[in-house]
Amino acid sequence: MELLLQFLSNTGFYLADYRNFIMLAIGSLFVYLAIAKQYEPLLLLPIGFGVLIGNIPFFKGFGLGIYESNSVLHYLYFGVTSGLYPSIVFLGLGAMTDFSSLLARPKLMLLGAASQTGIWATLLCAMALGFMPKEAASIAIIGGADGPTSIFLTAKLAPHLIGPIAIAAYSYMALIPIIQPPIMRLLTTREERIIRMPEPRSISKKELMVFPVIGLFLCCFLAPASIPLLGPFFFGNIMKESGVVDRLANTARTAVIDTATIFLGLTVGASTQGDVFLNPKSVSIFLLGAVAFSIATASGIIFAKIMNFFMKEKINPLLGAAGVSAVPGSAREVHLVGLKEDPTNFLLMHAMACNSSGVIGSAICAGILWSFMAS
Amino acid sequence: MYGLEAISAHNGWAMAIIGPLIVMSGLTILSIIISQLHKLVAIFDKKAEQTTEPLVEIKDEISVPKILPNDILETAKIYQMLIEKLEQPFELSDLYQIAEQNSFPHPILTVSRLRDAGILIREGEGLFIWNR
Repeated sequence: MELLLQFLSNTGFYLADYRNFIMLAIGSLFVYLAIAKQYEPLLLLPIGFGVLIGNIPFFKGFGLGIYESNSVLHYLYFGVTSGLYPSIVFLGLGAMTDFSSLLARPKLMLLGAASQTGIWATLLCAMALGFMPKEAASIAIIGGADGPTSIFLTAKLAPHLIGPIAIAAYSYMALIPIIQPPIMRLLTTREERIIRMPEPRSISKKELMVFPVIGLFLCCFLAPASIPLLGPFFFGNIMKESGVVDRLANTARTAVIDTATIFLGLTVGASTQGDVFLNPKSVSIFLLGAVAFSIATASGIIFAKIMNFFMKEKINPLLGAAGVSAVPGSAREVHLVGLKEDPTNFLLMHAMACNSSGVIGSAICAGILWSFMAS
Repeated sequence: MYGLEAISAHNGWAMAIIGPLIVMSGLTILSIIISQLHKLVAIFDKKAEQTTEPLVEIKDEISVPKILPNDILETAKIYQMLIEKLEQPFELSDLYQIAEQNSFPHPILTVSRLRDAGILIREGEGLFIWNR
């Protein structure tokens, strides 16, 4: 009888508290959104299921939880805390990215730079709310709308905030179809939304091959702290463009990135244990994340409108919203909003140019923030 | 510490000014360089042409326009030539590969558009068919 009682006192039913149930509900919501609504399922399903795994109550000391040093989850979580998974994701991302539209219209790169304003505005907001500088920098990077970059910087500056920051970053990436279109419509007129972009010039294979080398040199010399992200990114891209290692490029953009995404999502989800995750700081982080993402979207659009004052050939300001680095979600959204106004106006290719420059821009911002905080 | 006092104490104003300036100037320089890249490549190509004997030009099996049309049906007609080389159903990676081999512009984006337009139809287990 005593053995039975002892066993019962070690079950999840006995050990559970209300925080576990709140997180289990959130995890279930993510799984539902991923499967039923297909909101970024590649991200939300692993994270949602990870939240479920991480919030099943267990007997501490058995080496089961993600924060217990000898647990399997802890070993898998090492890829997050060390910044390993984000680097691998960037490798795959580089091997997927086609820079031809950006090379054809380099001006669009400025929209990717302008959208990073969300990061810097949020840095100030977070500091004003009482976060320490390293925490504020980790929260601010959510404005880049780049999950791996957010996780990477947070792992380096404020590892105790990885859970809420990663969840906030990925949630807002999944919520792009809800957050971005109203901002786009609010800041643009119909006349602006129907501006057609001219066909881009064709890009030679040589240009595509030279770009990753130039990009690596310039960006990493400027912000060496971004090497762990941009190094693999441009390496993945040169593998793709050179055409001499197709097998490696193909592996990087399929098996390698998929494996990293699975473990990244699952362990980030599992790191949101109710007792660690549910606190006022997490709520502030979610609010600041929304601010960061909205400012990033708005600043890209506004910058495009400012550019139009000085340019003969007008840019469709919707493209500014794709300056955040949520690839390809924000580009797709720009394309869809454009299509709603004019079903024959295809903006996707141009939006992808802004999107890929946003990836580079947010990684540079992460490098700059890291060096600011280190100094 | 909260508010403006916290921002000043942590050097926030300086970071929020210098940070975006660095990003903006970095990406501006990069965009200027890449806008001139084709000229640079052309110079090297000319030099290479002068120093090497003219190569026998191998004609592609498929003639590809430098820019694909905006109309998805027109684009589909061009992609039809590739599809005929594949067995139905096929994997998208095979289509990407054959498109890249034939120097089709933006194959990933185009395939995505073809999927959105219902021309490429998912058949399950990672395979797709072409909606004729």
